[in-house]
Amino acid sequence: MAEFLLGAALFVLAMVALGLARVVRGPGDAERMMAAQLLGTGGIAVALLVSAATGVGATVDVALTLALLAAFASVAFYKSATGAPPDDAGDRG
Amino acid sequence: MSLADLFTVVAVSAGAFFFLAGSVGLLRFPDALARLHALTKADNLGLGLVVLGLLPRVDGLLGALKLVAIWALVLLASGAVSQLVARVARRTGPRA
Amino acid sequence: MGTAFARFLGFAALWVVLVRGVAPADLAVGVLAAAVATWASLRLLPAEAGRVNLGALALRLPRFLWQSVVAGVDVARRALAPGVPLRLGFVGYRTGFARGAARNAFATITSLMPGTVPVDDTEAEISYHCLDVGQPVAAQLAAEEREYADALAPGKRLG
Repeated sequence: MAEFLLGAALFVLAMVALGLARVVRGPGDAERMMAAQLLGTGGIAVALLVSAATGVGATVDVALTLALLAAFASVAFYKSATGAPPDDAGDRG
Repeated sequence: MSLADLFTVVAVSAGAFFFLAGSVGLLRFPDALARLHALTKADNLGLGLVVLGLLPRVDGLLGALKLVAIWALVLLASGAVSQLVARVARRTGPRA
Repeated sequence: MGTAFARFLGFAALWVVLVRGVAPADLAVGVLAAAVATWASLRLLPAEAGRVNLGALALRLPRFLWQSVVAGVDVARRALAPGVPLRLGFVGYRTGFARGAARNAFATITSLMPGTVPVDDTEAEISYHCLDVGQPVAAQLAAEEREYADALAPGKRLG
């Protein structure tokens, strides 16, 4: 079973890499934000699978931290890209 | 192979399939906003199915709740961030 | 006070789940973390921004999960099957949810529905980007709005 879970983790990792190859090419800011989102969601799936395969629970906490940091990074990027004032995240530009 | 193992294999494989679909969508869809659909919907379902498949393998109710909580947090973050990405894409994208 | 205490309990419960236990040392840090989280949440999302009824929202969970599955399958079909066309476009949807927590929650829920991503909003409308404008998008969104009407109570308008 551990082999299956590691195999699934590798497959998802390959899919994240494939998607990253596309979004890193750009051309715009939106693609860069999507790269962070893809890493957040896909990275969590990989970490959960690796953690289940190896029994190392701390992997999950690392992944959770990364996923939430990815969200914060996207919000910060949005603000710098649009020049939205700090107290006005939900407003349209 | 036990029934629980079979459940894990089926759900995790289905999850991996949606990660495949999401990445193919990223490659094939023509603009940023369309790619955003592929990313948010397919990948979140993929993660949900992976979590579902791993549920029988964790010990205790808290372990299972933690997995579900992680999925819910990622879902919430992704739902909020995707709207920000959409605003940026609409402003800079060719179809805006 | 009610809002603050309810949020504190929610954050504390999340803490217990994430550290997987109630050992005294963990709990001490958890109480501190939940207090800080409550303070931050009240600053960023004041209680007057509108209420989201979590109990009523939980009742919609099966519907929400099913919609996510349909949305994922729909995107997978359009990505993988060569013959399924994309008809991209924008649809403006007039919503009864005032701006605030209720509107934001509705936008986030509908961002995971099949074929729609909210991209912008004005006082009365949310603008959606759609994968297939041939679908009855506005009717589907109206059905969702009715479904969630009692779970998302609009509050005082902010901004």
